[in-house]
Amino acid sequence: MQHSSFARRARALVAAVLVAAAPAAFAQGSIRIGIITDRVGPAKPYAEPVTQGAEFAVRELNAKGGLLGRKVELLIEDDQGKPDVSATAARKLVDAGAAFILSLSLTPATQQAQTVSLETRVPHMTPSNSGDTLTTQISNPNFWQTGPLGSTQIATLLSYARSKNYKRVALVTDNSDLGQLINRFFKAGLEKSGIQIAAEEVVPRGATTAEPQMQKVRAANPDALFMTGVLTPENTLVLRAYRQLGLKAPILANYNLSVPQYTSVAKGLLDGVTFVDAFDPAKPEVRRFVEAYRKDTGSDPWNLHGYGYDGILLVADAIRRAGGTDRDKVREAMQATRNFVGVMGAQGSSYGFADGRRTGFDTNGMVVRVYERDVQGKVVHVGQK
Amino acid sequence: MRDFLELAVSATASGCVYALVALAYLVMTRPTGIINFAVGEWAAVAAFGGFLTLTHAEWPYAAGIAAVTAAMFAVGWATERLTVRPLVERGAPVLAPILALLGMLVVFRELISVGFGPDPRPLPQAFGFGRLEIGLVAGSYQSFFTIGVVLGLFALTWWFFERTLAGRAFEAVAIDRRAAALMGIDLSRVTALSFAGGAAIAGVAGLLVAPNTSAHYMMGLPLAVQGFTALVIGGVGRVEGALVGGLILAFAEQLTVRYAPVPPGLAMGVPLVLLILFLLVRPTGLLAAREARA
Amino acid sequence: MKGAALWIAAALALSAVAFVLGPYQTDIYRKLLLWITLALGYNFLFGISGQVAFSHFTFYGIGAYAIVILIFQAGLPLPLAAAAGVGLCVVLALAVAIPATRLDGFYLALATLAFAQLFVVVLNEGGAVTGGTGGLASYRLPPLFGARLDGPRYTVVIVLLLLATLAVLWRLDRSHFGRACRAVRDNPEAAAAMGIDVRRTRIAAYAITSALAGIAGMVYAFVDNTVNPPIFGLENAFLLLFMVIVGGSGSHAGAIVGAALLYLLPFVLSPLIGHHHALVFGVVMVLVVLFQPRGLVGLADARARRRAAP
Repeated sequence: MQHSSFARRARALVAAVLVAAAPAAFAQGSIRIGIITDRVGPAKPYAEPVTQGAEFAVRELNAKGGLLGRKVELLIEDDQGKPDVSATAARKLVDAGAAFILSLSLTPATQQAQTVSLETRVPHMTPSNSGDTLTTQISNPNFWQTGPLGSTQIATLLSYARSKNYKRVALVTDNSDLGQLINRFFKAGLEKSGIQIAAEEVVPRGATTAEPQMQKVRAANPDALFMTGVLTPENTLVLRAYRQLGLKAPILANYNLSVPQYTSVAKGLLDGVTFVDAFDPAKPEVRRFVEAYRKDTGSDPWNLHGYGYDGILLVADAIRRAGGTDRDKVREAMQATRNFVGVMGAQGSSYGFADGRRTGFDTNGMVVRVYERDVQGKVVHVGQK
Repeated sequence: MRDFLELAVSATASGCVYALVALAYLVMTRPTGIINFAVGEWAAVAAFGGFLTLTHAEWPYAAGIAAVTAAMFAVGWATERLTVRPLVERGAPVLAPILALLGMLVVFRELISVGFGPDPRPLPQAFGFGRLEIGLVAGSYQSFFTIGVVLGLFALTWWFFERTLAGRAFEAVAIDRRAAALMGIDLSRVTALSFAGGAAIAGVAGLLVAPNTSAHYMMGLPLAVQGFTALVIGGVGRVEGALVGGLILAFAEQLTVRYAPVPPGLAMGVPLVLLILFLLVRPTGLLAAREARA
Repeated sequence: MKGAALWIAAALALSAVAFVLGPYQTDIYRKLLLWITLALGYNFLFGISGQVAFSHFTFYGIGAYAIVILIFQAGLPLPLAAAAGVGLCVVLALAVAIPATRLDGFYLALATLAFAQLFVVVLNEGGAVTGGTGGLASYRLPPLFGARLDGPRYTVVIVLLLLATLAVLWRLDRSHFGRACRAVRDNPEAAAAMGIDVRRTRIAAYAITSALAGIAGMVYAFVDNTVNPPIFGLENAFLLLFMVIVGGSGSHAGAIVGAALLYLLPFVLSPLIGHHHALVFGVVMVLVVLFQPRGLVGLADARARRRAAP
């Protein structure tokens, strides 16, 4: 009998907490935009700067009088990098009256949160995830993706390297979900171009060396090495082993090598590494963004901040054109986005969802840059031409 | 052949790091029976200590390493005082301190994550970045440095347990707690010292691996799992077991990656399968403990 | 008679809640009920039988993936797929348990830890069958005997799952088998001397609780209509252990309290203290072990005893 009294008490506690967790009453007048970020889990290094960019964008919007004359309010939820919690966070944001949800967490978390936007028809977007499958695995008309896709990254790198005429190349990735996904699309892109994969290696999270993997690459003697992993420590191991083992094949890296942490943790290992980026420091929009951000926060933004910033501006643009937060109108407005110039993307490129597609990053919007010693060099190539 | 020897150096260096973590487990578990999964986080704490002293404050290498190791000694001591001592004194089952230390694992990781943020931080290599070739044997400076330090530490630990009075006291406690207490050995001192030593050893492991991988908030758990696996392979009975276990694990991992004809994603599953088989065939580890009353 | 009435009342009360909650509360409620179900099973395995295994969450994953693959790739009807899924869990559990339960304490922990990691490797490398890192999505529960189970009705399914799991474990705990499990946990040698088959008891406890986790996994698969590998990693396996300990291991009420507290903690704390909620979680864990070794239910027990004392 004792047990059931505890069970009762436990249930009372649960009920109390459920009530406590319920959202506050809707604040009249403001437009709410929800963000799902990762504050404690594996996506934290990437989710944090993107979130900061989004927060800055909202401050800027409100300083200019808000959106449609209404204040923009940001609701931020932490999904801890857990997909099931991400779906719960999405529900909470829907309940709290979010007009739009931005997912900045892990790719599988964004995937699972889509269950909610599919069901509730609340517009939902990820401005930063780059996995190709997010808009194809679930047919969800309420979801958009504006990060540069893995397939766009490899196509841009290949167009840059066309003159090099690679025949056999190696791929090195890690075992994170995004690393595996990017690797898959790099592989598909290479095979489509008739390039043979001479070696394909995985450096698992928590490895202490990448030398066995890189020895295998060296033994395969490829014309080039494509890095598709997204974990900075493991990528650093790859670069270290590459120098250590005296490899000579040029390195072409995915978008991850563009984050500034490499210039400190992989110092001395970067010279000559070619990487694809979505950020051109010479672009006027970028210069304005960097200056305004610095003035507002006192610190320098980097490319990942630009994602969050662009994400908010794209959403604000759609809501403005929809004239309000009606879900159907906002969805139509979002889908109708064309020629939207943001911080991210090469000069002359723009966001847009042409031909019913829900991936909005300009396929010609990526740039290729090369490390000069430990400094990210100027843009040497643009798009897929 | 050249490739194999080069790989052997790299595997030995990795194996030495695993072995050091296994040794950290071992010096704590021998006298107390407590498996402390927070060793990985201790390694991470020391790695960040290395970042502060060596990278940030630019202390001389030896001074930084010594300071961090000493600090880890204190961290281990404090951890024992706060979370293990009260439970042991109360006579709680051995699982209780293990669980309290699992909680400490979370506490340490979150303190790092809150204090330093999620970005990885660099540590300098002991002798800079370079390649040393001795005949056919070739590897990075850091690999040779790691191997040297770890072998030295193992020799020191072995000497301590086998040749010093204090070390024999540890062994006596490991073999029979009650008898040791009756002989006048201060059990709580031995426990505190074993944790302090374990933290210092784990800290050195962190300081050796972080110049390659960088110091970051997610580095602890993989090290804890790798070290624990090495410990189980080698057996908890003897100091040499940790070294053997670490080397076997690292060679199994790296030879699989290099030579086994399996898809790259599955290569990391091979050591896991080996481990499961190994546990089933020889659950007490390779090197058995000395008999209680030899 | 009174017992049955209580169970029915509990089922009605918990189900009634499903019909008044909004979508967000429903989502929390469903996942909370699933966590409690898992914690109850894990409590039997860890708290009552004394087996430190990290594979409980893995069987949850096996159940979840099995049902989706069996229905949508093998084309089996739902009842058959569910039966086959349970069968698969039992077979796999026996395959793990028969050799692994020979292992003592932390060797079992390591073997099951390796098994759990291996499962995630297989999921990531499973190609089209498991959907790789992205997992499986874009499916929905087929009608069962003509009825579509969605919305609050699906929450009722979860309530029934929880109560059925509790009922099974409750009965087991009070049977000869339950006493045997506790005897094996406290002192295997003494248990063997009493004529208990230690190995068979361990294997049975492992297989039964793993199958229960598998069934819970099948129900989970249709909560968000997607399954993917990150959920079934080590993090959640450790979380499950923490839940049972914080609540009070060896007690059903403890499992319920622990699961509810640790599952809800981030949702309550995150808005208040941001990412520090994970730190609080670790501190709570340490404090409970230090000061309340019997878990939070120990607190209530002690109070009840004080009140009973003259």
